[in-house]
Amino acid sequence: MSQSIATVASERGFARQPRIDGRGLALAGAYLVLYVVLDWLSFIQPVLKLGITPWNPNTGLMLAFLLVYGPRWAPVTALGVLAAEVLIRGTPAGWLVLICASAAIACGYAALATLLRRWGVPKLIESTAGAARLVVAVAVTTLVVATSYVLLFMAAGALPVEAVGGSIARYWVGDFNGILTFTPLLLLVGRWRELRQVLRNRLGLIALQFAAVALTMWLIFGLAPNDELRLFYPLFLPVIWVTLQWGVPGAMLSTLAVQIGLVIAVQNQPGAPPLVDLQFLLLTLILTALLLGAVVTERANALERVAMREAEQRVLLATAPDAVLTVHPSGEIRSANPAAHGLFGPLASATGSRTLRTILPAIRLDRESGRATLEGRRCDGATFPAEIAWARLTAPTNDDYLVIVRDVSQRQRAENRLREREMALSRAMRFAVAGELASALAHELNQPITALVSYLQAAEILAAPLASQDQRLQGTLGKATHEAIRASEVLRRLRDFYRGGAVKRERLELNLFCATFTATFQERLRRAGAELLVDIPEALPRIEADATQLEIVLHNLLSNAIDAVSQQPPASRHIVLSGGHGAGGVTLRVEDSGPGIAADVAAKLFEPFVTSKVDGMGLGLAISRSLLRGQGGELSYEPSVASGGACFIVRIPLHPVPATDA
Amino acid sequence: MSDPTVFLVDDDAAIRDALSLLISLKGLRTAVFASAESFLETYSPDWRGCLLTDLQMPGMHGLELQAALVQRQVELPVVVLTAYGDVATARAALKNGAADFLEKPVDDDVLIDVLRNAIRLDEERHRVIAERTDTQERLNRLTPREREVLNLLAEGLQHRDIAERLQISPRTVEVYKARMMEKLHVRSLAEVIRLGA
Repeated sequence: MSQSIATVASERGFARQPRIDGRGLALAGAYLVLYVVLDWLSFIQPVLKLGITPWNPNTGLMLAFLLVYGPRWAPVTALGVLAAEVLIRGTPAGWLVLICASAAIACGYAALATLLRRWGVPKLIESTAGAARLVVAVAVTTLVVATSYVLLFMAAGALPVEAVGGSIARYWVGDFNGILTFTPLLLLVGRWRELRQVLRNRLGLIALQFAAVALTMWLIFGLAPNDELRLFYPLFLPVIWVTLQWGVPGAMLSTLAVQIGLVIAVQNQPGAPPLVDLQFLLLTLILTALLLGAVVTERANALERVAMREAEQRVLLATAPDAVLTVHPSGEIRSANPAAHGLFGPLASATGSRTLRTILPAIRLDRESGRATLEGRRCDGATFPAEIAWARLTAPTNDDYLVIVRDVSQRQRAENRLREREMALSRAMRFAVAGELASALAHELNQPITALVSYLQAAEILAAPLASQDQRLQGTLGKATHEAIRASEVLRRLRDFYRGGAVKRERLELNLFCATFTATFQERLRRAGAELLVDIPEALPRIEADATQLEIVLHNLLSNAIDAVSQQPPASRHIVLSGGHGAGGVTLRVEDSGPGIAADVAAKLFEPFVTSKVDGMGLGLAISRSLLRGQGGELSYEPSVASGGACFIVRIPLHPVPATDA
Repeated sequence: MSDPTVFLVDDDAAIRDALSLLISLKGLRTAVFASAESFLETYSPDWRGCLLTDLQMPGMHGLELQAALVQRQVELPVVVLTAYGDVATARAALKNGAADFLEKPVDDDVLIDVLRNAIRLDEERHRVIAERTDTQERLNRLTPREREVLNLLAEGLQHRDIAERLQISPRTVEVYKARMMEKLHVRSLAEVIRLGA
């Protein structure tokens, strides 16, 4: 609670920048009035009627004002000091001294405010180190200010030299106590509502604590009015109680109460010791309370952080999809999260808890931390592939291991499926390439063989008249013809072998098919910086086709599209895969925003060995068309109207006809 | 009317050369064209014989050439040369009225048989056309009266009935019939009826 109050005060106060406008003037006026009133109220036991008093809450107000609104308001504070001096004490030392003193005070506290703002004040008092720094900074600054003030008045002749030491001490303790009791409290004013809430909730306790402070005060000043110094120490008890309960704010409030009580007591009791003596005693009380409050607040904050961390970790463990175990070096399972129970089955039973060895037989916790892929064993004896990571906890009293186990069987299955699918695809692709090569080769070679056979047969006719000279000529030409025909037969068989690959027909839902298929392309698309839009209506009729062959076709088309758009600037790399259906068939269109295909290339696009790629074989489109025709479908090209690039259209018949031998 | 010729269309120069040599050695005249387009450009209606065309050619495909000929009402018999396995295209060519198809490489005896058959088809067609033209010419020589007599005879009427129908004497019918038979160069009544039908 104390932490949040202080933090929000800082956020509210320091974020505001001073402005010289209507609001700024109102603020300055309010400050001046408050400052003068406070100075007037605390004008107690001065030295020679000067502003050298043993308690200066107005200084606390000044510092708080400078801290909240910034050191740029230092002129206003100087004006405040001057106004208070003049209104309350007149001008015993002359205007010049007063002005110089006001300026010195304002400068000193503006410097302190600058320093504290840099350190971050409200945060500062929440740690013991910070509180100590605050105390030292305030002590040094107030000492400098007190010395300057007193010396100025001495130089002006308003103060005898022998009174300098006592005056500095009096002024210093007044400012110091004024700042420490008042400034931190004023910084909390921004969180007034929070404070009121706390007050309302714990009203009984607070009243009790207030009563305790008041009672102690009464005991000291009421029972032994002239002997307060001896009985001063019991005051520590209620202040410490309050401080332990409320941290820094409690410390500040209780010491302020004591301070006010002290002032009232001293004012109303003629025989009381001088306030300055009491102020030095109070100084110890304030310092003790402040440092103790810082410790309490620090501890409360630490506990809150720990509780927060623990809550986070509880949620983390409960919701983690992976099994998380803590394991003693002996292998005993100390704790397990819900995912671990889900993965391995109940880990603890009436016969004792299971050890790590029973669920991860192959594990060796031989290092401080490590990773491994092992076999996990469920309670029913079933095994699964598990990815584990472990690390030794680094807490001083605990050398348990933290072991995280992930069931990767799903992933492995998916990976295997993907790999098998890729292998099938690449096998089919190789077969298709070989088939297309064989077909192209057979066609190209068959032409010269045809000419050769005809030439040889012509030669036989031409050689007929010479048969009488040498019988072997006719026979040789005949054999040559026979061999040429045999070569042609070999080519035919080669071609038939690859063409003979039977078409496997299966029912396909294009929607699903394209989704699965394009998923395998995401990585390539990402690398090429290309965007693929898949637009396959769900209402497309189902087709009967060879999925692998169709995948080869789409693979070729999509690969080509990615190559094509890669030549474009990154912002215009779009590919669209869309579907539709018309009379007797379904069409898939692959459109890209690439440079398109030159008309002369487009004319013979589907012939083997035609390519516009540097490293292309020129078989992809030829194969794709052959495969589609083998299924009674067709592949065609047209320039894309929508994207300006190429558009390839795949047609697949709804009712497959017997394959045409293209 | 020119001599029967084998018009060979193939984009492959070696095949053109080899096949034309072989065909000419087998005693048939040949004319070669490197593309379907050049054949269509030079085609003349008085060409006799047959067309031997490759199917896979850059530019106009063999089947397209065949379709173009049908469109121009050129009835020259077409024999297509196919690469092996191209059964589907061969089937399409036959459906479109091709006389026959040959698979590369071609055996010379088969080649010549097929070509001679095609040429015979062409000759037969021209003979029929010529005969039909001749008959028509002879019929055109008949007078309207002679024509009437011919038609009635073809219907199977007797001389007397014809005379009654035409309101002439049976004797005059005899005269018309004799004159008609002389003009048509026919000797028997059966031949007369065949012409008149």
